[in-house]
Amino acid sequence: MRILQTTSLLLLATVSAALHAAPVASDHVTVELISENTALIPGRTAWLGLRLQHAPQWHTYWINPGDSGLPTRLTWTLPSGFTAGDIDWPAPRRFKIDELYNFGYAGDVLLPVPIDVPAHAVPGATVHLAVQAKWLVCHEECIPGKASLALNLPVAATAASNARAQVLFAAARAAQAQVSPSQAQARLLGDRVEVIVEGAHLAQTATLDAFAVQTKVVANAPPTVVIRDGSSVLTFAKSDYFTSIPDRFDLLLRDDNAHASLLHAHFAGVATATDPATRP
Amino acid sequence: MYLRTLTLATALACSLFAAPTLAAVAIGNAAPDFSLTDSNGKTQTLSQYKGKTVVLEWNNPGCPFVHKHYESGNIPRQQADATAAGVVWLTLNSGATGKQGHLDGAGANAFIAQYHASPTAYLIDGEGKVGRLYGARTTPHMFVIDAGGTLRYMGGIDSIASTDQDDLARATQYVPQALAELKAGKSVSVTTSEPYGCGIKYGS
Repeated sequence: MRILQTTSLLLLATVSAALHAAPVASDHVTVELISENTALIPGRTAWLGLRLQHAPQWHTYWINPGDSGLPTRLTWTLPSGFTAGDIDWPAPRRFKIDELYNFGYAGDVLLPVPIDVPAHAVPGATVHLAVQAKWLVCHEECIPGKASLALNLPVAATAASNARAQVLFAAARAAQAQVSPSQAQARLLGDRVEVIVEGAHLAQTATLDAFAVQTKVVANAPPTVVIRDGSSVLTFAKSDYFTSIPDRFDLLLRDDNAHASLLHAHFAGVATATDPATRP
Repeated sequence: MYLRTLTLATALACSLFAAPTLAAVAIGNAAPDFSLTDSNGKTQTLSQYKGKTVVLEWNNPGCPFVHKHYESGNIPRQQADATAAGVVWLTLNSGATGKQGHLDGAGANAFIAQYHASPTAYLIDGEGKVGRLYGARTTPHMFVIDAGGTLRYMGGIDSIASTDQDDLARATQYVPQALAELKAGKSVSVTTSEPYGCGIKYGS
């Protein structure tokens, strides 16, 4: 009974004073905790990342996993005064499995997380940063995995970039969605949700795809994109689980060059939010 | 030119949405009838249970989410409570023959015995026709149909999407909640939730 074995297996990485904990090989994915820089600077934000190296054909999930699956989750244990932010999710890929759609990652991916270092951190001290990562890795079957990972990092007035991590963090940032300045309006049209984005540029993109950050709004099949009155119109099937106008509706748009942007759509029938779109 | 673009766009949108991949049922509408063979070779239809409340549960024995709810006893307990109260509980397997999670009748009966489960029947839907009819996409994926044949709940088994049994104590179990509300003559307070689990392995 493979699942029994897997779920009862708690993988514990060796804690070492290094910029990356030893990679932990689990079922169909190898995970690793990596620091972008060689030291933590008091009062600054440091970046750590969970690297997931998937076996061919296996994938893990984005913040909205799509029709099935689970997003990867991180639970941090940090010294007093240190705080971890949310995962700064790279743009996902679409996986079509029969008639179901999933959003996530294959291959080699880094999920970066900001860590706020308190101003009172003392240079010369060593800090233990620990995280429990939980994920679901799927191909035909799905296997839940978890690992406890930790890094011991020095606090210092200055830090150098960690050469090995540089490429990974650069790739993760390149894959992150930039907040779009375009105005977008969403509305319900029967069993569809229409999103009108100012400008015709989107519809002229050959292979635009769109991913809803929030669940229970639109179905997970890709939208149609057309030009109407000089605007790009994205039409989705409404989610079977749509219950009310969402407080917030963000779309991650991804073109054929893997360039991603994040669009905050104002949903008709809701008071207009004035805050800028936040990243998923 | 503009008109042509618009017409083309409309045609494109129509063609896309005229051929949905998964059908959908809706809360407050009549739950569509179906006929399937159960694990003991008996024909089961939804309409034969008219007058009784019916729960539909999508199952895949190799799915870690299903495992969470069976190994912990959560689903078997819900089945026992529901059937003791006169509710019909139909477990369905829409995994295509040859795909991960598919069971034949003997396999389904062994699964039921292994977990001391007590569904009214375990239905084999190897062609996926009932799964597609209901828009079932995950295991588990739950539906509650009232005695009049109207769909009253569709969605996840509970409120915390995870494979961890530790989360069960904090989660709202939507099916027992809906069943209790229906029994009390109340309206169902949570009628939909985003289903979570493994994707159903439909055949092509």
